[in-house]
Amino acid sequence: MSDDYLFDGTGEPDRDVERLEQMLGQMRGSRRPAPQIPVVSGFSRTVERKTYFGVRFLGPALAMAAAVMLMVGLTWKNVPTDNGSWEVATVIGTPRIDSSVLMGEGRIAIGQTLTTDAGSRAKMEVGDIGQVTVDELTRVRLVETRDGRHRLALERGTLHAAIAAPPGQFIVSTPSATATDLGCVYSLHVNDDGSGLLSVEAGWVAFEERGRESFVPAGASSRTDRVSGPGTPRYDDTEQAFRDALDDVDAGTDPARRAAALRLVLSRARGRDAMTLWHLIPRVGAADRGLVVDALAARVPMPPSITRGAVLRLDSAALDQWWDALGLDEANWWRKWKRPLM
Amino acid sequence: MEHVLEFGRVLPAGDPVTSTAGTAALGATIRAVAAGDQDAFSRLYADYSRLVHAILLGRIPRRDVDDLVQEVFLTAFTRIRELREPTAFGAWIATIARNRATDHMRQMREQVELPDDLAGGDPIETEAFAVLEIVRALPEAYRDTLLMRLVEGMSGNEIAERSGLTPASVRVNLHRGMKLLREKLGWHANE
Repeated sequence: MSDDYLFDGTGEPDRDVERLEQMLGQMRGSRRPAPQIPVVSGFSRTVERKTYFGVRFLGPALAMAAAVMLMVGLTWKNVPTDNGSWEVATVIGTPRIDSSVLMGEGRIAIGQTLTTDAGSRAKMEVGDIGQVTVDELTRVRLVETRDGRHRLALERGTLHAAIAAPPGQFIVSTPSATATDLGCVYSLHVNDDGSGLLSVEAGWVAFEERGRESFVPAGASSRTDRVSGPGTPRYDDTEQAFRDALDDVDAGTDPARRAAALRLVLSRARGRDAMTLWHLIPRVGAADRGLVVDALAARVPMPPSITRGAVLRLDSAALDQWWDALGLDEANWWRKWKRPLM
Repeated sequence: MEHVLEFGRVLPAGDPVTSTAGTAALGATIRAVAAGDQDAFSRLYADYSRLVHAILLGRIPRRDVDDLVQEVFLTAFTRIRELREPTAFGAWIATIARNRATDHMRQMREQVELPDDLAGGDPIETEAFAVLEIVRALPEAYRDTLLMRLVEGMSGNEIAERSGLTPASVRVNLHRGMKLLREKLGWHANE
């Protein structure tokens, strides 16, 4: 008998196939409509940035993202990984896992190091929550992978992470700061001297070292170095002079130069750079803090529920409330991500 | 030569499974999805949800399949920028579905496992579940292809277009899978 009926339902009917069609056809899916894609993801650079970063839009979008992450978390928090290892695949060239050349696909176990040379790139599956692509000339070690927690150590080079999971599940340590994913897409580069650059494309990343934290939103970056830790986040579309000055404020050692840089930052900050100014409040000395507070207040008025004195004292509740007023996000959500989900 | 033709793993380079126009349209849809276009995402879902459903049904309890279909597509959305070749979308999302099914089953083993045909939970006849269990025991490529054809009602050409296999490979998988299934069911072959 011809297989035509089995192949596409044409030709002489096959009674067995018909019987199976009738029996198993009852198990077809419910034909639900497609799920709604998360609004905040913004995975393409082609989407107009103003849609994502406008104060009026970002707050609701991130609130939705938080809700999505919470729902995702309820489903995924207990999803185990495969035997404490990740799938790894060669993108190009000959990456190595420890001393072994990776031929096509393989696995990287906890404690092993993935190394790429000048002609190699590789890709890793982060359990079921995302992917990490490793660029050329990179060394990255798998430190930890278990339910709800995955950790890499990036010794040098560049990786690109795309993670869809509740906040805090994916962490990358570098010699000068630790990047904690808050549900996002980002790139992280580490130089040979341990300094680095975090660039966020979608969502948020927390960049932390020795109690100094930067919360970096989509479209923004943060430098880091061994001495000063994570730098003040700034949007990538700020002018170069602004970014250079901010680097001086973060890591400069000449007091006069640093003071001049701070004046430039405060004078040239745009409305959306309120995010940067807010981060600067605890980073400058007490003598300069009032200037930063005034500059921020000129762009986003201080909420009536807080006082200038409380902000100058770095009262965390006051800072949280002012953050809320920036319209970027609910501080209660992003500043408390370390708490375990339900 | 006896060999199993698996999705996305046997297609020779340059094999024209999808027309140039179809490839271009799929590429445009994928780019639109990456940009956050819900309509494009819905089109992709409409075109590939049966493939994903069949793969999941071959691996996990039926009551969980619909939910996981949605999860698989959301996962695909979050990673879609990693996809460099639009024609690989079918094989790519099939891999996501298989991995998700594996994780789901592992998670289930840690919890209380319910029988698939739990009384009162589903009106589908017990015989259908018994046949499904036998299909699930077939080699992966036969199992997935048969479920796409017999459960989802996809034609051989449609299975080929969605999965990245050639139509000839799909025909081989269906033929061999059906032969094995008949043997296991104790049905006499019609050939």
